[in-house]
Amino acid sequence: MGREKEKENPSQKALNLLRTRLSNPNFVFKPLSDSPDSNYSKLKFIISSSITEACNNSILLLGPRGSGKVAVLELVLSDLLQQYPEAISVIRLNGLLHGDDNCALKEIARQLCMEHQLLFSKVASFDDNSQFLIAMLRECGLAHKTIIFVLDEFDLFAQAKQRLLYSLLDAMQSVTSQAVVIGVSCRLDVDQLLEKRVRSRFSHRKLLFLPPSKEDTERFLEHILSLPKDSSLPHSYTVEFNGRLKNVLADERFKELINTYLSFNSTIGQLMRFLFQAVSYMDLDVGFLSLENFKTALSSTQRQPKSECIKDCSILELYLLVCMKRLEVKEQNSYNFNSVMTEYKSIHDFQTSDNYAGNVCLRAFEHLLQRELISFTDNRGHNQSVEFRPVKLLISPAELYQGLKSYRSCPAILLKLIAR
Amino acid sequence: MAKVESPQVTRTTTRSYSASNDAIESTKPIEPYKPTLNDLGFRQQPLSFEDLLSCLPGRRTQVLELLRLLGPLNSPMFPILIYGGPSTGKTSVILQVFRHLNRPFVYSSCVTCYSPRILFESILNQLLFHRKNSGNSYSSIKRCEKPSDFVNYLREALESVIKNLKGNSGKLSSKVSGQPNGTMIYLVFDHLERVRKWDKSSTILPFLFNLFDILKMPEVGLIFISNTSPDTYYFNMGYVEPIPLCFPDYTEDDLRQIFMANQTNRKLYSSFLDVVLRPFCRVTRRVDELSAVFSSLFKKYSQPLSDMGVAPNEDMKRRLFSHLQPHIASALNETFLSPSWPLLKDEANRETKKKGSSRMSRIHEDFDKIDFHMSTSAKYLLISAFLASRNPATLDASLFDSTGVSDSRKRKRKPSEKSLEQKEMTELELLMKGPGTFPLERLLAIFQCITSLAEDSLDEEESHELTIEGGSSGLMSDVLLQLSSLCNANFIIKGGSCPLEGSTRYRTAVSEDLALKVARSLKFPLSKYLYRR
Repeated sequence: MGREKEKENPSQKALNLLRTRLSNPNFVFKPLSDSPDSNYSKLKFIISSSITEACNNSILLLGPRGSGKVAVLELVLSDLLQQYPEAISVIRLNGLLHGDDNCALKEIARQLCMEHQLLFSKVASFDDNSQFLIAMLRECGLAHKTIIFVLDEFDLFAQAKQRLLYSLLDAMQSVTSQAVVIGVSCRLDVDQLLEKRVRSRFSHRKLLFLPPSKEDTERFLEHILSLPKDSSLPHSYTVEFNGRLKNVLADERFKELINTYLSFNSTIGQLMRFLFQAVSYMDLDVGFLSLENFKTALSSTQRQPKSECIKDCSILELYLLVCMKRLEVKEQNSYNFNSVMTEYKSIHDFQTSDNYAGNVCLRAFEHLLQRELISFTDNRGHNQSVEFRPVKLLISPAELYQGLKSYRSCPAILLKLIAR
Repeated sequence: MAKVESPQVTRTTTRSYSASNDAIESTKPIEPYKPTLNDLGFRQQPLSFEDLLSCLPGRRTQVLELLRLLGPLNSPMFPILIYGGPSTGKTSVILQVFRHLNRPFVYSSCVTCYSPRILFESILNQLLFHRKNSGNSYSSIKRCEKPSDFVNYLREALESVIKNLKGNSGKLSSKVSGQPNGTMIYLVFDHLERVRKWDKSSTILPFLFNLFDILKMPEVGLIFISNTSPDTYYFNMGYVEPIPLCFPDYTEDDLRQIFMANQTNRKLYSSFLDVVLRPFCRVTRRVDELSAVFSSLFKKYSQPLSDMGVAPNEDMKRRLFSHLQPHIASALNETFLSPSWPLLKDEANRETKKKGSSRMSRIHEDFDKIDFHMSTSAKYLLISAFLASRNPATLDASLFDSTGVSDSRKRKRKPSEKSLEQKEMTELELLMKGPGTFPLERLLAIFQCITSLAEDSLDEEESHELTIEGGSSGLMSDVLLQLSSLCNANFIIKGGSCPLEGSTRYRTAVSEDLALKVARSLKFPLSKYLYRR
């Protein structure tokens, strides 16, 4: 039987509902955009005024990753598309994909062709595409149709020569066109990256997306985790779920937990990820969210990868790490595998266990390289074999000491050597 | 007329080409296999939950956490990054979990797909049910090099697959086994740490991590598997971090469970593990390395037993342990454990001789032989390279004068303290700098001297070994070929060219032990030529 048994119990449906909500940015950012002085309203005002007044405009949306810039923009655009169905066409570009100017113009041409049901030719050159763009801008301007360009990862467009930006902004100014250029970026100083000629054609409107205040966050948490009353879930279950959720949210320990998380991951997007993890840990047999779920999610975000690596090391690898640290203490600035081996042999002058041959130690050394606990200091090194290339430690002595102390069955000699 | 036939029977057998020089066979060419939607799921019988846990020993917490993050059927998820050391079972766990859940997924490994283009095309081929075969001359269904094209094609392909899946799940009546569940599709990227070494890694890695945001399709789940921890992926360009899931290395108890699975005689193997597991775990805890050692050691352990099915009592355990003990010490100091054919033959010969005394010396003898085959001229070339790297160039004249071996050495004086210090410093330098470089001419000069010396010494002795084809003039072309094969085998490293002279310089990459072994096999007195300060 290949099919999973679809248990229609309410806790599974509730889990599905919450997970769908949390991974959908449109749902997440809608409640935050309700107030009149939110970024949503400001953005909507700017774009709609530029549509109605038939003028060009440009704006930058800035804020850390996950603060909802693109989500709010999509909300605004979907509203405007409902309001003015024939008057807008949207072109979306991404700096990661279309950072190269040729690629970007090809993508613009492709999207324009798709929108207006024209034939798109893949072999058009850069000049063909740019002429097509200018022609389209003119035509749309004459037809009172606004083209909205959304440039995601705007700072990547502002690398290199900025040909695309210049041609776009220049076309907007010289041709009778109606276009709005919206740049979205995580770098708050992205307008400093622009060339002089591009910056002069760019209006310096910026919208900053900041993390919400504490009260907003609390209200927001309750809103997003509560089950809706009108869903297909049984009413009693919903009521009990929401009641228990309220208790958890009001708990002091929960507030502390959330503050700890928000103090180093302050954006909404990251909070969503945290809540997603917590919701996934919900016990399906119990069917309600508890404080434990949030605690487990918090601990899984507070991992220390290097200490975990040390716990995974074998004892021979720990010996090598301790030898390297001793070499550093002796102020040997650059050392390679051979010097580590001499140190290793000198440790074993007075005992014979754990004294392994050179090739076994070389294999352990390569394991350490794979785990990225040590690395080569130079990049050129294919000229020399592994034993001669200089290496350096990638963990601090404190981390190494902590790791050794918490290592199960660590040989006493290692602790003694590292404590000196 | 020869006809090349490529029959493809099922998906998993290798293809075999058969060319017939006789009459053309009038067989109908077998239709190449066309994948369908069912191929996106695991084609084998789905596993129950208990089977899943039992076939992945020591991974219970990780499996449970993974199941929780993947969520129930048709539930969207954030991208996950699974990380852990090599051979900790990450790929197996993911594949078996998908077999248990019977959900459609697309797997691609960054080892086989070693450039962005191959990676993109492999994913698109799987999603568009295209297989490369001779019919379409092994081409992919779409040519895709840039991430922008990939996103466009991927979106189309994913939409068509999800539409198919939705259509299938609507028909609840068909309980055909082998049909995957649900309307979500998962993309699995394995060995992600390889992408860091690619040329375009600064754009491809952020692109892969941001793929979830770019696509904005809730029916797609992304899973990344990596050998290195997430902090090795920090770079200039930001990205939304995937949810990390750690696979720590196996503990000793887990290792015991793993090795005990599939053993016919559990009691015997368990007593074997009692003996070997702890000392070997001090060296390495990786399953692949340990399994190679244990398989050969277990054969030695059970050698004295006549009946393999017996359960050992205490006395037998002690005897078996004492039989195995010397082998453990030598196995701890070895890394390459598949012995070559000459050594196996030697061992077979030795077993017929009297067993008993000097077991240790026999084991040491193995160390003296090199366990791969090299032609004699290659061996001489290797020795010359070693000497050229080791000795400074100014010594060549005195060491290799035309009359052969020079026995003169500096008179040894009692070393003063300053010269002892200097000696230490120079030894340290030698350790740090490594072997020196030498141009081709010097290598050939040393090679000529050594081989002429060897010829002379061979004329004196009776040798039944075939050595160099006589005369140095016949050697030159062979030597250059041998040099390039030694470079390919990484015995000699070809360096950059010296800016003044413009010729390439070489450097030896063999250790002194290996050079001594090679010299010993040629009966060449290497130590006399080594420059010791």
